[in-house]
Amino acid sequence: MLLTLALVLIMGGGMALDYHFSREEILKRLAEEARIEIGVAINDTENWLRGVQATTQLLGRVLERTDYSEDGLQQVLRDVVANNDEIFGAAIALNPSLSDNPEGFAPYYYLDNGVASYANLASEQANYQAQPWYTAPVKAGRPLWSEPYFDTGGGDVLMTTYSFPVYRITDTGERSLYAVVTADVTLEDLQRVVGQLHLGESSYSLLFSREGLVMSSRNRASVMKHYSQMAYKGVDLDSWHALFGHALGGERVTAEFPCPEDTGRCTIRMGRLESTGWPIGVVYSQREILAPLHRYEIKTALLGLGTLLLMSLAVYLLTSRLTRPLQQLSIASEHVARGELDVPLPQAQGDDEVSRLVRSFSSMNRELKTYIQDLETATANRSRLEGELNAARDIQMSMLPGGGEVMWQAGGVNLWAQVLPAKTVGGDLYTYFRDGNQLLLAVGDVSDKGVPAALFMARSISFIQQLAGNDVPPDAAMARLNNALERDNQSCMFVTLFLGILDLDSGELCFASAGHTAPSLLRQGQAQSIVQDTGPALGLAADQVYPRNTLQLSGGDRLAIFTDGIDEAFNADARMYGVERANEELLANAGLPLEACGHALIASVNKHTGDQPQSDDITLMLLEYTASDGRSGSHSFTTGAGLTSRIEAWLQPLLRGWAVPADLVTEFTLVAEELATNVHKYAALAPDEQLIVTLALQANTLALEIRDPGKPFDPLSEGHRSTLGADIDSAEIGGLGVHLVTRLTDRQSYRREGNHNVLRVEKDIPHPDCGSPLEPPKN
Amino acid sequence: MDLTTTVAIDEENSVARVALAGALNTDTAPAFELRLQDVLNRGYQLTVLDMKDLDYISSAGLRVIFKAAKQTKNDGRKLAAANRKPHIDKVFDILKALPDMAVFANEQELDDYLDSMQRKLRDE
Repeated sequence: MLLTLALVLIMGGGMALDYHFSREEILKRLAEEARIEIGVAINDTENWLRGVQATTQLLGRVLERTDYSEDGLQQVLRDVVANNDEIFGAAIALNPSLSDNPEGFAPYYYLDNGVASYANLASEQANYQAQPWYTAPVKAGRPLWSEPYFDTGGGDVLMTTYSFPVYRITDTGERSLYAVVTADVTLEDLQRVVGQLHLGESSYSLLFSREGLVMSSRNRASVMKHYSQMAYKGVDLDSWHALFGHALGGERVTAEFPCPEDTGRCTIRMGRLESTGWPIGVVYSQREILAPLHRYEIKTALLGLGTLLLMSLAVYLLTSRLTRPLQQLSIASEHVARGELDVPLPQAQGDDEVSRLVRSFSSMNRELKTYIQDLETATANRSRLEGELNAARDIQMSMLPGGGEVMWQAGGVNLWAQVLPAKTVGGDLYTYFRDGNQLLLAVGDVSDKGVPAALFMARSISFIQQLAGNDVPPDAAMARLNNALERDNQSCMFVTLFLGILDLDSGELCFASAGHTAPSLLRQGQAQSIVQDTGPALGLAADQVYPRNTLQLSGGDRLAIFTDGIDEAFNADARMYGVERANEELLANAGLPLEACGHALIASVNKHTGDQPQSDDITLMLLEYTASDGRSGSHSFTTGAGLTSRIEAWLQPLLRGWAVPADLVTEFTLVAEELATNVHKYAALAPDEQLIVTLALQANTLALEIRDPGKPFDPLSEGHRSTLGADIDSAEIGGLGVHLVTRLTDRQSYRREGNHNVLRVEKDIPHPDCGSPLEPPKN
Repeated sequence: MDLTTTVAIDEENSVARVALAGALNTDTAPAFELRLQDVLNRGYQLTVLDMKDLDYISSAGLRVIFKAAKQTKNDGRKLAAANRKPHIDKVFDILKALPDMAVFANEQELDDYLDSMQRKLRDE
């Protein structure tokens, strides 16, 4: 395209230059032609007029020397008229003083329809002696052309007359007028001769008498008028005067004016006929004169255009022949980029750059295809492997109680545990099972991670589960596990394990450790790792001894058993999370229910590692021991539809399980609903935020606590109570509910803890009749 | 717990009996309000809320009954509660609710009241 444009510009420029020079040449030639043409036409006119003059003069010379009879004169005259086409009429007007006739002698012959006819001018009507054609040359003493006039003597036509005075030398040697010989020329003939002078179709000539009468013009109506009376658009009188004056003086003058008939410019050129002294002019349209030039221009333009078109076509064909493979290649590469590798490529012919490029591209395409096929195979393999691993993960998680996260409550004990493998499958494990009033707890960590660790973990957990019902103390059980795992353990995998047995009645925890991190104990506002004696990790060497540890739990204690995925979690600066930090976190979240506390600790570990990938499997088990006469439970709720029903569904079985009297169950359900409804209405919780309801029964006091992360709101002071029994309209929102809550419970308190609203209500359970209506249920 | 509402109409005496069974709480109150409003709009002289099988009521439920009581009073009609269980009664009591509402402890009282109304009509 650019190439075509450049070529067009260069060729166009060349042609324009050529046109410029040719145009000047043509203009010059046209001017020359016009000059020659005008010269020829004027010469013809001059010759024609000189012919008339010569004939007349010849007659005059003859008469100077020869005497003719009157008949003879007539005869000569008739011959002159009959034999000279250009002469319309001729007369020999004798000096009257030489004639016998008092009126003189003036025979006149003129052409009447091509026949020479006679008229006598020596009559009273004609009175030739008074006519200008007679008087003027006599007066001047030389031949003259008359002004044009309408002849009434004979021909009755417009004419001009050439008068030649004939003088004779008398005997006395004086020179006396003998006659005036005239020749008439009709303006019609004159016009015909002058009419040869024209340049172009609409060009025409003008002939004026010396006094300015129009003798020849294209417009017949103008003839015999003075030039100043001619209507000429665009040429004012002053210009006419100047033109006429200069021409009469013998100068050649030129003027331009708008053409009277069309929109172009016209030129008038004027000069003078030398023979007669008449100004003669030619009017022509510049456009007509320049018509050959215009034809040349059009021809040049058409030729140029045609050439350019042909050239553009040629350039286009040539370049597209060159670039078509490139374009096809470009389109093909777009298809390839979209993954359509089977797109056809252009044929590579010859050995030019484009063909080599096509061949390279084709080769690249083939290799890309192979590569992608390999990649697809690899990806398919990998996704199959991933699918298998996911299935393995499901199986592994199903080996753990709760499938990886569990919340469990039994008389006096709340337990929550979660395992988070670093990879799809991992080597961490936890488990628990209850046997009467004995609760077995195990948290373990197999060396390494991934699939090998997972397989060994599966083996470990199945051995641990075989301990159920055997009533073996943890130290002995540990030794037995060690031997079982050590057998056929060619790969020298090993597992660290915490194995404990809690007596639910007494709160005594008896445990053994196989190289496992010491659990942390949260007791009375303090969190610290417990001191333990530990044996070697399981599976390495047979017949090991594991010391027995004992820990007495009391009401409100929390125990955290975890793997090194927590304390040995590294951040980007290679700093470990550490046991101290874990203990601090446990302490900070002591007020939260067990589950929330565990999530908070794991979230803290994740925050510590930041963008680092999880380096090891994480397992955390939290155990809360409440005094044997105490009961508590906690649950999280999202607000929204059915909140009341969900709270009721959780609360009522719990209260009934604690043998709370039926009317109190209803009342406490009512209290919980009113408080939760208040939170829903005023705390403005986000859809994913939860409110946590905790219910506890301690020494005949039933306590309900509602904790929410909403905006600060104390319903006890801010919820305006309505006046009891008053009109419904005057009741403030929430007022009724708060009224019910305060009347149905004994103590109410509100506090703001960090970002949480915490509302707590307590109700003392009356038991006037029997000692304790709240006998702990049999487990 | 859900709420089941049963409406029985005694056209002769212009009495609507709305029996509630279950729990009238935050969850169930909006639907009940629509149902009750529908009954009230039919313009019976007396609307009796039969709470024989109502086990639970919260402030959201009471609000609906307050509104109904106010509306019937303004229209010169009556809203009554019958057969309230003790703990329902307690809630009403705590809130000193329904000062203008007729309250019938049991079916007998309600029947006596209806009889007296009929007699009154006959006497007129």
